[in-house]
Amino acid sequence: MKYRTAYPAPLGAAGLHIINTGDWRTLRPLLNKEKCLACGLCFLYCPVGSVQAEDGYRIDYSYCKGCGICARECPGQCITMVPEGGKDG
Amino acid sequence: MTITEKLAALPDMISPGISSCVGCNVELILRTCMKVLGSETVLAIPPGCMGGVGVVGHNTKSGAKCPVFFPLLDNVASMLAGIKLQYERENRPVHAVAFAGDGATVDAGLQCLSGAAERGDRIIYICYDNEGYMNTGYQRSGSTGKYAWTSTTPVSAANRGGKRQHKKDIAQIMAMHDIPYLATCSPAYIPDMVSKVEKAMVYSQEGLVFLHILNPCVTGWGIRPDLSIQAARLSVQSNYHPLYEVVRGKYHLSMEFPEAKPLQEYLGLMRKYAHLTPEEIAELQAVTTSKWQRLKQLAAMGELS
Amino acid sequence: MANYDVLNGNRAAAVAALLCRPDVIAAYPITPQTPVVEYLMQFAADGLLTSALCEVESELSAMSVLTGATLAGARSFTATSSQGLALMYEPYFRASTLRLPIVMAIVNREMISPQSVWGGQQDALTLRDAGWLQLYVEDNQEILDTIIQAFRLAEHPEVLLPVNICYDGFYLSHMAERVAIPSQEEVDTFLGVRQPSPVVLDTRHPIAVDPLTTGEYVMEYRHKQVQATRKALQVVQELNSSFAQSFGRDYGGCSESYRMEDAEYALVTIGSMTGAAREAVDLQRQLGQKVGLVKVRLLRPFPVQEVSQALAYLQGYAVIDRSVSFGRDSGILFQEVAAAMYTLGKYVPAQSYIGGLGGEDITVPMLQQVLAEIAAKPPEPTARWLQQEVD
Repeated sequence: MKYRTAYPAPLGAAGLHIINTGDWRTLRPLLNKEKCLACGLCFLYCPVGSVQAEDGYRIDYSYCKGCGICARECPGQCITMVPEGGKDG
Repeated sequence: MTITEKLAALPDMISPGISSCVGCNVELILRTCMKVLGSETVLAIPPGCMGGVGVVGHNTKSGAKCPVFFPLLDNVASMLAGIKLQYERENRPVHAVAFAGDGATVDAGLQCLSGAAERGDRIIYICYDNEGYMNTGYQRSGSTGKYAWTSTTPVSAANRGGKRQHKKDIAQIMAMHDIPYLATCSPAYIPDMVSKVEKAMVYSQEGLVFLHILNPCVTGWGIRPDLSIQAARLSVQSNYHPLYEVVRGKYHLSMEFPEAKPLQEYLGLMRKYAHLTPEEIAELQAVTTSKWQRLKQLAAMGELS
Repeated sequence: MANYDVLNGNRAAAVAALLCRPDVIAAYPITPQTPVVEYLMQFAADGLLTSALCEVESELSAMSVLTGATLAGARSFTATSSQGLALMYEPYFRASTLRLPIVMAIVNREMISPQSVWGGQQDALTLRDAGWLQLYVEDNQEILDTIIQAFRLAEHPEVLLPVNICYDGFYLSHMAERVAIPSQEEVDTFLGVRQPSPVVLDTRHPIAVDPLTTGEYVMEYRHKQVQATRKALQVVQELNSSFAQSFGRDYGGCSESYRMEDAEYALVTIGSMTGAAREAVDLQRQLGQKVGLVKVRLLRPFPVQEVSQALAYLQGYAVIDRSVSFGRDSGILFQEVAAAMYTLGKYVPAQSYIGGLGGEDITVPMLQQVLAEIAAKPPEPTARWLQQEVD
């Protein structure tokens, strides 16, 4: 038998298993930076960690699933959910 | 340092892409807890949602940046006890952490958890309670609430049914083990949860510490994904899942609401209770109210001798 | 310089464990294993044993604590019997498939029902396909010696498999014999330096242990486990020679042949019944029958070549089983031997005997009767049962 691994037992030792959950989105959150007061609630509540604490806050779309929690929880309604347009925006 | 500054500075210990449901608040608390716990952690994820979505990994890859493994559904606490014993023998500090669903905690794994608590094994046991075996299709557990629809306590064509028994109160069961620290948490109250994880890391030097987190399940309970946090918030504000700590036997309420939200507001957010009659809702409200009263009495008692 | 003492089988096991310096012990009491736990706890209380001891609340926890501890790098030991072994089946199975070198003594006890606490080998034999290496021993000296060998066998870098040392409940566990006890230095030297395993939960080198695994990888890991099990057979033989050199006691390795050189008929035995079988062979020899016995010591992996060669030229043999393979109308060892004999390509008449269940004695006269019977009658496809006289 040809072996794929050098491990004697099932080990996950070849790096991280990453699923491209950004591909799931049907809705995308858009953050209105002018309204945003940087309270951080979107950052605290995003399950995926898509809200980055940079320059206040910004959304990284790599793994965002489009759940809409950020839009719902934002006290200033600074985030709107719009249909995901894919690579064409 | 604010809570956001603190969490922003801590690395995310979990793979950025795991296949938990859109809006899953278990993913939220897993990432948050693991930021606080850090890399000197051995993480036990029993079969269930978090194992299913890839936190232990797939084939040759891992789902976390610290050592992580699958215990069996029924032996999480015992495996961690063994791991912790060996690390202690080598004088190496480590957080031996369980991140286990209610199935592994309240049902199949209760014996091992109870034994570890009684022995004072120095592990951190975090139970994410989505009130059922959600990963495998929403079957009931001992932690499912009364009247809730699940795939094994379904609702009939005549719109009657749901689970016939009340929810097992795992936090109180653990309190009766006289462990050094236990706390209830909610994904809607992140700063509160973070401080409890930090306390858990300290008190676990004295024995088993237990965190019980109630996670409304958007898919299994039938909640709109964006209302994930709001459902959790209402679970706390209605006193269905009051936030409290028991520190070496002394009860502390984390917060109190002068006017608790009516339970109906919480139940109404989820399809799993859509079939309830007004009488059934009133029954659940009465139980919630009386358990809250009992908790207040416990908190007023001071040190339990 | 050997130290001698009079030890019952359980104490021999406890002393062996003590000498092998396990890191973690988690054991739950069950008749007839209970004294093992008590002795170990007393050794600890007296400062002789410095292992971390976990006072578990069931056998499920015992094996769970040890699979966890071993994943953290511990050398681990425990003991159990029948119901306890059954209760720990879930973590027991994955100890082998995760390649964890745990050493566990099984004090063989009948499986309930009926309610029996007495000897029988059904417990360990039923689990022979769960991947553990299994050795069955004949007397208390062999218990002690085999446990020491077992740690080196389990931890061998090309093996990395858990090992059972099985000994008959009450016959060995509670009966005392004169036993030579090696010194700590001798055991330390024999065990040598332990090599680290890659299957480990180490915060310095974080990996996942046992991620979700699809079929092509499952095939690979099973295949590797089979290779390791095959290697274990060779290692058992090497360890037997090495132990004989260091300590002067030779158990034959995977099996032992007694008076087989010119034997026409033979008993195949496993466990403490071998002692009675040796006497029966000697007595039948005095009566003029050319008989011998083959003691199966290593059951997993089964020493196919060794046992089939030993039995190849007989006119017939009887396999004595303290177990039942329900649905096969024979004992369990009988099936193992019969399958091994198939590789010879020729038929040697074989008869299954079942006896000694639930603590019933297998006596010398019974075994003499067996030897006489297999020479007098052809074998039957169903087991013959060794029964005490019914009044």
